[in-house]
Amino acid sequence: MTGSTLIILAVFAAGFIGLAVWDIVRSKKKIQKYRLRSAATAYLMLLPAVLLAFLFILLPILYSLGYAFTDYYLLTPNDINFIGFDNFASVFKEIGEKGTLYHAIINTLIFVVGVVPLQIGMALGLALFTNRKVRGVKIFKVCFFAPVVISLSVTSFLWLQILSPSETGLLNSFLGLFGAEPHDWLRDPKTAMLCIIILSAWQGCGFQMLIFTSGLANIRNDLYEAAALDGANAWQKFRTVTWPGLRSTFVYIIITVFIGACRIMTQPMLMTGYQDHTVTLSYYMYTQGYSYRWVGYSSAVALIMTIVIGTITLIQRRAFREK
Amino acid sequence: MRNKTFTVDGREVALNSRMTGKRITKEVIYYLCGIVLSLLFLFPIIYMLATSTKSESAYAAGAGSLAMFLPDFAHLGTMFDNYGSVLTNYGIWKYALNSFLYAVIVIVLNVLINGLAGYVMAKMNFPGKRLFSALIIFLIIVPVETSIIPLYSIVKIMLGLKQTASILGIILPASISIFNIFLFMQFFQSIPKEYEEAARMDGASTLGIFFKVILPLSKPIVATVAVFCFIGVWNDYLWPSMILPQASEGEWPLMPIQAALTTIQSMEGITTGEIMASLVITSIPIFVIYVAAQKYIVQGFGSAGLKM
Amino acid sequence: MKKIFKTLSVLAVSAVMACGFAACGGGGGDGGEVDSSGNTIVKIMFHVDEKSTEGQAYKKRIDAFNTAYKDKKIKASASYQARTTGAAGYETELLNKQIEGTLPDIITFDAPNCASYANSKLLYDISSLVPEDVQDDFLSLNEYGGKLYGLPIQESSAGFYYNKKIFRAANIDVSSYTVENPWTFEQFKDVCARLKNHGTTAVDMRLDATKDETATYLLYPFIYAAGGSFTSADGFTATGYFNSSATQSGFQFLKDLVAEGYTSYSIGATDFYTGKVGMFLSSGWTIPEIENKYKDTFASRDDWGLLPYPQGTAKASATGSWCYGITNNNHADKTAAKELLLWLTSTESSDAITTATGMIAARKSVNKNYAAGSPEEVLLKQLQLTGKARPATVAYPTFSTCFNQIIYSLKDGNLTDILNTQTNTLQSEMNKLHK
Repeated sequence: MTGSTLIILAVFAAGFIGLAVWDIVRSKKKIQKYRLRSAATAYLMLLPAVLLAFLFILLPILYSLGYAFTDYYLLTPNDINFIGFDNFASVFKEIGEKGTLYHAIINTLIFVVGVVPLQIGMALGLALFTNRKVRGVKIFKVCFFAPVVISLSVTSFLWLQILSPSETGLLNSFLGLFGAEPHDWLRDPKTAMLCIIILSAWQGCGFQMLIFTSGLANIRNDLYEAAALDGANAWQKFRTVTWPGLRSTFVYIIITVFIGACRIMTQPMLMTGYQDHTVTLSYYMYTQGYSYRWVGYSSAVALIMTIVIGTITLIQRRAFREK
Repeated sequence: MRNKTFTVDGREVALNSRMTGKRITKEVIYYLCGIVLSLLFLFPIIYMLATSTKSESAYAAGAGSLAMFLPDFAHLGTMFDNYGSVLTNYGIWKYALNSFLYAVIVIVLNVLINGLAGYVMAKMNFPGKRLFSALIIFLIIVPVETSIIPLYSIVKIMLGLKQTASILGIILPASISIFNIFLFMQFFQSIPKEYEEAARMDGASTLGIFFKVILPLSKPIVATVAVFCFIGVWNDYLWPSMILPQASEGEWPLMPIQAALTTIQSMEGITTGEIMASLVITSIPIFVIYVAAQKYIVQGFGSAGLKM
Repeated sequence: MKKIFKTLSVLAVSAVMACGFAACGGGGGDGGEVDSSGNTIVKIMFHVDEKSTEGQAYKKRIDAFNTAYKDKKIKASASYQARTTGAAGYETELLNKQIEGTLPDIITFDAPNCASYANSKLLYDISSLVPEDVQDDFLSLNEYGGKLYGLPIQESSAGFYYNKKIFRAANIDVSSYTVENPWTFEQFKDVCARLKNHGTTAVDMRLDATKDETATYLLYPFIYAAGGSFTSADGFTATGYFNSSATQSGFQFLKDLVAEGYTSYSIGATDFYTGKVGMFLSSGWTIPEIENKYKDTFASRDDWGLLPYPQGTAKASATGSWCYGITNNNHADKTAAKELLLWLTSTESSDAITTATGMIAARKSVNKNYAAGSPEEVLLKQLQLTGKARPATVAYPTFSTCFNQIIYSLKDGNLTDILNTQTNTLQSEMNKLHK
């Protein structure tokens, strides 16, 4: 392993040095002593970060990339063979046969499409709601933020009790007051994903609320006063002052919530186990890699997923770019 | 109470008592909505707290009724039993201390390493800078879970971090965060050049500027990054349980708190009340830190500009 | 000043990194075969926490071994890596030791993993190391492809705990149902019907335990008992076995229990313990649970009992727990490892460990003198007479998922279609593994 790492390191170093040299040559400036020293200072200050990032971030990604083209089976780590694009062929075959991977993709899509607007909408709503200088607003903010502090696994465990299918489950007994029959929320394919969406938005929106709050605080008050002088009502103020002012905050939030949503795994794992109606991409990859022991195949799925998420993110950046 | 005036037909009209009434109703509605919303966000936590005061039979008895949310008033002593047992028998305080120590070290390293990198990217020009910028964006997007198996091999085999040295396997990977570099970058870009230029004229070196000028101005972003680091270290359980060795008897354990919690929760004989008590204990520090640092986080994000 | 700053910061970071690399050097001396006193070191890795009751029991036996073998110059060195849920813990540690080349001499593994570990050459064939009479004295053995790869540490079994108070109130007499003369599926249903008429939830079949191995472990015997099976003997064919009509009839029985209202998915985890359910399918671990935690409901053994699995055209009950195995590490000479293995599986060790853990001894000749008719005796008799292991297949993790998915959706859907889909999934996984 050390051997291949050194080779990768050498490739990177060579590539980087080549790029740096090309950069210098291209700028056509004479290499002054000052520039050299400031560049050297820059490199030195970057060195610890670059070293650590290379070792612990870039290298694992590259290895994972490499595994995607092998038949790495967890129990035989000393017997790894290069198999080209076979794993990718299996991926498309599995999707075509509407296997578990197909369901994982659909469920992840449903989750993302559901949770992104819901969580962001809730966060924005709560940020606006608490954007007042009245007594007690701080307490509200803390309450709305409280679920964020609870880790996802605890949240899943708590909501399992709430969504319990027996008539004494929290939700069922509450709805029972209105005469509703007890329902198995997590087992019913029609309601399971919806419940997971709601509880995930519930758990996360407090954090985005904080970010929106900071975005709101950055909007200059005189803009509001000017709008008020022009006779704008609350909705118009929002549309002409608040919303444009929140633009960069919003772009940041939608990108981060989107990427986070794509990676959901804890909730289905702890609440329903590995079932077709709630399995997600990350959960599928995890099971394939660790339980079924197909590290190579699971890495291939990861690679495809990364490319898709990355592409969508880049598109989002472009679409929301300020004109 | 603010004095509010309205413009009606060009004339200023002061509040009359009817309008005050309307305002009071609006305020009441506001607070009511706030309370209802707050309860919606708090009820699972109330449930957690209430259960942590109950013995196993009290928990089973209350399950499914409103009593789920009420602590066991009849047997208040159980609460002390639960929390006491979690703290002493299961020794959670040791693991909490571990987490604190790891967090402090990670925060210091994180701010230094990523802060320096962010500063360089924000303020300095050097060949190859564009490559690094692109790499930063790229690495933020790539999901990290898939890298756990190779990361394990890198830490354990290539670097050979075994037994007590495994702690480095926790600290070092946590000290580098492309996302934090990004945050620092954004924040430093918003610091006016004048500060640096003034310091340079006084003969300060680049590094000197960083420590003496930039960092003191960066309290919000440092606080934000510190809070994120703390939460990351505090909540992380999968990675530590994979690479840290189990403590032998009599030795100080190396595990941080969430990892230890997962083991403790599956121990024979633990009651639901004790599990909830342990969960409450682990949630408290994070809660306190979030509340205390809220102001800084808001500032940190605000000033950063968040240009993606 | 700036030079000092620069140097210091670079040094600081380098120092941190150097510690890491230095540890690399220190780790190199990671146990050779022979220590400084000339003892052959045998390394064993246990799957429990050292501080737990079970861990302590193992430790005592290791210490006893070291005392006994001091003159023979063999020393056992134990490490404890508690298995946790998911990827972390025992198996990860194991696999990475394999990559490093520092695999312990003896490991413990969960019985269903025997096939995949043996097939991947992780385990060493111990058929010739363990004497015939010792092999015969085991209630079950871990075999694959006709060879022996593991010996059970202790045995587990499961059965139907029942609330005697409810049964008395409902006038249900189950005293004639023993392991030797078990009740049939029909008789089981009859008891359920009478419980239901009495107004109690009849039985908790643990249908909600599909998130891990629990549901598979507790329910698979029903399929065998119905005359069904899961895979071929070599574990590489599922078609024709997993979707055979006999297998389907086993699942149908479970489905009927749900359809007829005798069990459901919404039974609370502690409902039996609080007296709301008539019967409770669970493993031997429930005995200490009841006796330690739920004295309010079950004051004495007059208030609860244990019934064996009902039987059909065949006989089956749950078995399979953790086992010892010798690894295929780079210590070619397995003599020392053999000694430790035989020591840990001797009747003396077996007795000591199971006295501490409360589980059933894996050796037949260990006699705990359980009281006649007691729950412990029921479990022991089941192991002796009807115990049948889970399918030995390399694709076991997939099998477990498929089984759990069938149980999860017992209420709805067409059972034949579901079985066929799952069989196809399992079969393609087996095909991938059959190199």
